[in-house]
Amino acid sequence: MIRLLKSTALALTVAAIVPGSAIASGYPSKTITFICPYSAGGGGDTASRMIAKLAGDMMGVKINVENKTGGGATIGIGAVSKAKPDGYTVGFVSTSPITIRPHMMKAPYHPLKDLTYISQFVASNQPLVVLKDSKFKTLKDVIDYAKANPGKLKWSTSVQRGGPHVAVEAMFKAEGAKATFIPFKGGSKVLAALLGGTIDVGMMSEGTKATLDGQTRILAEGTPNKNPVAPDVPTLTEAGYPIAPAIFFGVAGPAGLSKEVLDKWDAVMAKVVKSPEFVALASQRKWALDFAGHDAFTKIVHADYNAAKIAVAEIGMK
Amino acid sequence: MDLILEGLALSFTLESLLAITIGVAAGQILGAIPGLTASMAVALIIPYSFYFSPWVGIPMLLGMFKGSFFGASTTAILIRTPGTPAAAATVLDGHPLAQQGKGAKAMKMALYASVFGDTFSDICLIFFASLLAIVALSFGPAEYTVLIVLALGSLGMLSSRPAWKGVMAMLLGVVIGMIGLDPITASERLTFGNPELEEGIGLIPMLIGFLAVSEVFQQMNDKTEDLSSAAVRFSTNREDNRVSWLEFKSCVPVLFRSSILGTIIGAMPGLGATVAAFIAYGEARRTSKTPEEFGKGSLEGIAAPEAANNAVSGSNLIPLLAFGIPGDIAAALILGAFMIQGINVGPLAFSQNPVPLYAIYGALILANLVNLVLGFGLVRIARFAVKVPRRLLLVSVLVIASAGSYALRGSLFDIQLVFVFGLLGFVMIRFGFPTVPLLIGFILVPLLEENLRTVLLLASTYDESLLFVFTRPAFVTMTVLMVLGALFFARRRWRKRAVPTSES
Repeated sequence: MIRLLKSTALALTVAAIVPGSAIASGYPSKTITFICPYSAGGGGDTASRMIAKLAGDMMGVKINVENKTGGGATIGIGAVSKAKPDGYTVGFVSTSPITIRPHMMKAPYHPLKDLTYISQFVASNQPLVVLKDSKFKTLKDVIDYAKANPGKLKWSTSVQRGGPHVAVEAMFKAEGAKATFIPFKGGSKVLAALLGGTIDVGMMSEGTKATLDGQTRILAEGTPNKNPVAPDVPTLTEAGYPIAPAIFFGVAGPAGLSKEVLDKWDAVMAKVVKSPEFVALASQRKWALDFAGHDAFTKIVHADYNAAKIAVAEIGMK
Repeated sequence: MDLILEGLALSFTLESLLAITIGVAAGQILGAIPGLTASMAVALIIPYSFYFSPWVGIPMLLGMFKGSFFGASTTAILIRTPGTPAAAATVLDGHPLAQQGKGAKAMKMALYASVFGDTFSDICLIFFASLLAIVALSFGPAEYTVLIVLALGSLGMLSSRPAWKGVMAMLLGVVIGMIGLDPITASERLTFGNPELEEGIGLIPMLIGFLAVSEVFQQMNDKTEDLSSAAVRFSTNREDNRVSWLEFKSCVPVLFRSSILGTIIGAMPGLGATVAAFIAYGEARRTSKTPEEFGKGSLEGIAAPEAANNAVSGSNLIPLLAFGIPGDIAAALILGAFMIQGINVGPLAFSQNPVPLYAIYGALILANLVNLVLGFGLVRIARFAVKVPRRLLLVSVLVIASAGSYALRGSLFDIQLVFVFGLLGFVMIRFGFPTVPLLIGFILVPLLEENLRTVLLLASTYDESLLFVFTRPAFVTMTVLMVLGALFFARRRWRKRAVPTSES
């Protein structure tokens, strides 16, 4: 009871202090809008709200999260790209709508021209998993089976036409193997389909916890970051395949943000990712904290965008 | 046993009881407001949940989800506005009852059914979680397809006269449901290049417009009604404001059947509470002794969807606890809250540290009791709230409908949708087209398409082609049950015909 009262009091105090301290000079001096292109409750939304709260507390202003969803996250990011570049509208960005989807659809922004990349704070893992007692022991077993039985291997991933989808198709293409992609909506449904025997192979972030839980086995990692649960397993590029795109969570703003704004966010985000709250959230969600400031993040985006452009054209995905 | 007691002790404390009460109350209110969902509220409080003890935060969350299902049905009954999509089927019989002055009876029936469904599925979760989870995982696209075909079969009996109008309405629903990305190739369909349409027509703005706003237009157009009279009238007869023991007893078979259906559907990732409510409604009508009452204010027609949608809320924790797979957004949020608090859920949790799981069970059962008690309060408040003059209520509904659908994803386009569908509903009622077939076409047929086409895609990977479905035990079991059921039905009908009753 006392604990509840204490926590309520704390929450109220935080709420009361925030608007009061918004009188500091320079950037920021008023409420910042943080656009989350994903709906309330998902991973992107949780991350956005956590950042809004922690960064807001550190900057001494209120940061409001606005969910603007739709169009495979391109609508929300489009809204960020069209905002006034004064630093008072920023947003959450993730891999697919930045480095992958624009090669296949008409996005309402050009990822390299219309956005400023502020910082990357998470690089999640995308393990390629099979059931624990699967006959596939290595990535080579999967490839050999797909080569020997064209179209018989059934696989899926969380987001159709997202980064991991492109990466795995590029791998099959490079090997001259043919597999059948079975679409499911979201990583937890891919895991359910894998456990239920509907598909043979899956690539989704949920695979990390499922492997910890003893349900699955990791055969490869679809991003450049080694999987912490299976550090010996190669990434797709280490295994000699065309791409292993970074699956990042980051903050971006419209093109032409001032140096003052970028410096402020660089400093604050570096502290946010080290805060105990964020570290706890990330470790529970199995996000790999991987901070990259404005310069490094911009480089990652450019490199992955160009690599994906070639891969997408190669496999002919539209 | 000690571990169970230890777990229950965590949730049976004064602070978690208080947290549950706050959660249920907030859930009931949020549920009643169209567009605002418990999921949104939970997302808002997650950044603060670090400052709560786990046994304050998690019970509050569970209470919120449970409360929202009942809250949503009060507005569905009284003003034809389902607070959440899961209450859309409750409109069908709840609103006619309210129009007869029996709104309080309808709300109480919904409350009893909600708590019944909740309790039933919680008990299943506690005792049969691992068994049910294995059954649920054995359901793949092939089994979903059969299930949806069955549902369409029983809902098809909600036929209207003339039949062609019902068919037209359903086809229109199918076309609207097809807008968006093709479920298999992910290419755009019927979007006319508009990115707003890429993810399809949102269920919430569509339902709010089609059910609530159309009703507002209807009432505005009705010149015989006095606009300053109370918006919803309540009968002064005591019997019309309560559910008698006899009435409740007559609903018990429906309550059990619907709770079983809801529990099974909830345990399978991918179908959800709205689908469960419609399937249970169709099933209740098919097995009812008085199917002609459905759509006119049948108590069974309220009991079925309410028991089923609440049963989903308990059983969607089944795949979560057994396999770490969240069945829907509510379960995903609960998973998130557990993780923030450092509580592992998933297949290893029972052997590693089961105490938090027992505490969750305790909180679930406690939340059901609180839901029942607070529900009576909400019925009273709701009765009072709709006593405002009609002209005020109609305007408020329009404002809430717009604000609620905007809040959902911050899209002005959704407000436009609300009014487009309001107009569509108004025109359809005006020209005597039934509205339910459109909802069924919109909600169920795209699911059927998605699963059927996945089955066809899967078939291409098997040597035996489409016959691969007969290698799946769940599919074979379902098919056998379906054939037996059809035979049983045919026999009963044949007997009825052989022995003419005095009525005919």
